[in-house]
Amino acid sequence: MVKLTIDGQELEFPAGTSLFDACREARGEALPHFCYHPDLPVAGVCRLCQVEIEGMPKLTIACNTTVREDMVVNTRSERVRTAARQILEMHLINHPVDCPICDQAGECGLQNQYMAYGFHESQVAKTDKVHKDKAQVIGPRVILDKERCVLCSRCVRFCDHVTGTGELGIFNRGDRAEIGIAPGRELNNNYSLNTVDVCPVGALTSRDFRFKKRVWMLRSTPSVCPGCATGCNIRVDHEADRIYRLKPRRNDEVNGPWMCDLGRLDYRQVHAESRLTRPLVAIDGEQLELAWADLDARLAEFATGGLALASPGQTLEELSLFARLGRELCGEGHVLGGLAECGRGEGDDLLLAADRTPNRRSLAWLELPAIAAADLAARVAGTTGGILVYGGDPVADAPGFAEAAAGRGLVYLGTHRNATAQAAQVVVPLRTWAEKDGIFVNARGRLQLIRRAVAGPEQTREDWRFLADWLGRLTAAEQPTGLPDLRRTTAAQVPALADVDLNALGATGVAPVPVGTGGEA
Amino acid sequence: MNRDECRILSKRFGTRDGHKLSVYESQGGYGALRKAVSDLDPPSVTELVKDSGLRGRGGAGFPAGVKWGFVPKDTDAVYFMVNADESEPGTFKDRFLLDYDPHAVIEGAIISSFAVNACLCVIYIRGEFGWLIDRTRRAVDEAYAAGYLGRDILGSGYAIEMIVHKGAGAYICGEETGLINSVTGRKGQPLIKPPFPAVSGFLGKPTIVNNVETVAAVPYIINEGPEAYRRFGTEKSAGTKLFSVSGPVRNPGVHEITMGLPFRDFFNDWLGGMAEGEELKAVIMGGSSVPVLTAAEAMNTRLDYESLQEAGTMLGSGGMIIIPARCDMVELIQVLMHFYWDESCGQCTPCREGTGWLHRIVRRLRRGEGTLEDIDLLDRVCNGMAGLTICPLADAAVMPMQSFLQRFRPEFEALVHESKQPGPDSRWAREIRS
Repeated sequence: MVKLTIDGQELEFPAGTSLFDACREARGEALPHFCYHPDLPVAGVCRLCQVEIEGMPKLTIACNTTVREDMVVNTRSERVRTAARQILEMHLINHPVDCPICDQAGECGLQNQYMAYGFHESQVAKTDKVHKDKAQVIGPRVILDKERCVLCSRCVRFCDHVTGTGELGIFNRGDRAEIGIAPGRELNNNYSLNTVDVCPVGALTSRDFRFKKRVWMLRSTPSVCPGCATGCNIRVDHEADRIYRLKPRRNDEVNGPWMCDLGRLDYRQVHAESRLTRPLVAIDGEQLELAWADLDARLAEFATGGLALASPGQTLEELSLFARLGRELCGEGHVLGGLAECGRGEGDDLLLAADRTPNRRSLAWLELPAIAAADLAARVAGTTGGILVYGGDPVADAPGFAEAAAGRGLVYLGTHRNATAQAAQVVVPLRTWAEKDGIFVNARGRLQLIRRAVAGPEQTREDWRFLADWLGRLTAAEQPTGLPDLRRTTAAQVPALADVDLNALGATGVAPVPVGTGGEA
Repeated sequence: MNRDECRILSKRFGTRDGHKLSVYESQGGYGALRKAVSDLDPPSVTELVKDSGLRGRGGAGFPAGVKWGFVPKDTDAVYFMVNADESEPGTFKDRFLLDYDPHAVIEGAIISSFAVNACLCVIYIRGEFGWLIDRTRRAVDEAYAAGYLGRDILGSGYAIEMIVHKGAGAYICGEETGLINSVTGRKGQPLIKPPFPAVSGFLGKPTIVNNVETVAAVPYIINEGPEAYRRFGTEKSAGTKLFSVSGPVRNPGVHEITMGLPFRDFFNDWLGGMAEGEELKAVIMGGSSVPVLTAAEAMNTRLDYESLQEAGTMLGSGGMIIIPARCDMVELIQVLMHFYWDESCGQCTPCREGTGWLHRIVRRLRRGEGTLEDIDLLDRVCNGMAGLTICPLADAAVMPMQSFLQRFRPEFEALVHESKQPGPDSRWAREIRS
């Protein structure tokens, strides 16, 4: 440990700690900065985090300094404040100050720092301003405004050191310097939207989010990305039951501060045209809308002795209820954990997992075996009674399943109108990941909470309530009174969860047992 | 001491074929190298240079031997670089050395490399010096052929390769870490320190960068010993120094003097005073980046590191600019501000934005569109740049700007008061405006 004094406070930090981080802790807030980012190499170019260190004649930037024994640091002296004010002014002289049309307004480093300690009157003659290109499309998802850029080089460092793709660079020199893209290339790596996150100003903006919403109107709900088995921690930004964007939320155990573009744009599924919004029943080959009140009677006709098929897209709690329901309806050994080959893609060595489902590990924990798509039809043919499908799309994915299930009273519990929903006798509209609470277990066995961010279509029902109600009509056993209750009974079902309180997972989740990195279960 | 006695570095200036190995060898050339690699070891070479008091001639004046001593002992590779990116306005001494006496530079570079145990020496030459690059390359080839470079030089077991690298013409590549970046193949931008290049430089290995004039003085020190070198100069500013003098004096050009010489003597005896009909107004002593002195201030100072610092300026690179009375100081600063704006690498904000701002305010003043507030603003902008950046380029722009304001403010104010019409444009100002 290294002992030093910051602003009169004596503090201890592990050797090697950046003075920038030490000052953040001592002050309770970060030093002014643009270029420093804890997950990128130090650039030291914005020059804002200047501090006074006793014994050094000049001010020093904190980001490129490590703590030293007996260092005496002053971050609030008049000299430091003056320097920061002057340097901030330099950042602003050629900035267009087009905040009214800038998406970054409200969460902008320039705005925030100007309000914190700038407040200077502009001394720049209009004719002295340097103009640069605006609104240049540099990739399928990112747009660049060179005039707003403060040349902190975070985006360049991200592409050089995190993705290693190196699409961006700083071209030209002096005040003609600008961020640009190498000739003949575009910024289209699967992590390109992180450059928008690291951009402290409105220079890089998301083409998806552009001009959709002023950020101060958004409310945030912490959650987990459902896009793959990695389970990146995210923030769902929404307003009036509509999601506008997903942002990564730091979890050093899972995703650090990043997430991939595929996951980030996944939210559009929640508001897709193809959402199932009402219960449906097929009469004479035509699916008609049905009132929830009339649905129970239809479900009561479900013939026992058939087959129940879950999917890895549901939460741990839902799957545990579904396992019980399936066993009641179809009998022991007739509840399957989805199709083994489905929901797979190509992974990378950064975040994206080959398993594109968020919760396959729960299926294994609940002892719901997966089945090969090619074997499903035969398995169906080997049973009599109804077929219950929860999520997924076996009609599209399993050859011969549609034929085998025809006339067997197929019931589909799901969120989107897919081939299985269209072939079903009864369709029950449930909630997506953004419209309910629950637990996803990622490929490494980490339990993480998804949280309800938006309400979901009016006529959809929360999955666990629907499942518990149905189960309640079948058995005399007591049904869960709420999610906390359900989590307690779920934990009791799974040996791996014996010592885990599912109601106290916290913001970054819990990993009860170390599990290998393989997402296959 | 008479003028010819202190010609150590400029001994061969003007000698016919002085750049050729045969001439250099006939005058005892490469004797110092032979002595260093056969009779001395690296630490004792370093010690001799330390004792001589030789300070870096690129501008900062850091003791060369001390710098060499920073190289860590337990390292697998060390690099040595000779900085011949001479691009400070007003400075043209290194080009004389490479032009008239390239072998002295090469010999000094090999001895210096030996002192830090470098395996590779790079001579980094400013891109515009086309003919010098050819001349230096030929000299390096001669040195290789004569066995002064390559494996096992002069039977000593020491191996050293030498490369002549052509810069692409950026002022900032004269800054040592900018130079290292440029040699590496990256954009010529200075690196943040720490780490310092003597610990981690080219390819992450210890790297020493010295100015041409610094290494050119090394053979003399090895041959004659540190005491002989210390006969020249003052206690703290040992040795001789090349001054490259431009402006309307009778004898402009490169002059070698013993340090500590009063400027008055240098001006009268070496330079021969002002040319016919000219009157001295001001002097920039050490290249355009140092504060300007008025004629009176200059006449009362001596030419060494300490005296010039006391006078409020710096010895810098020794690029002396003599400014005559007829010179418009605002036009002169406009030329300089244009230079620093053009040459800022654009990496750190205060320099990137500040140099451009200064340039545009001065241009406005020159056009007769400025106000008195603009003159104060110039000073304020300077305060937001000085000492706050990675490298000294911002300071290099600020020092002339603030010293011009301090000493010649009435000329700035006159532009606001007397006329809203711009004066007749000089050739420089016309180019800048376009």
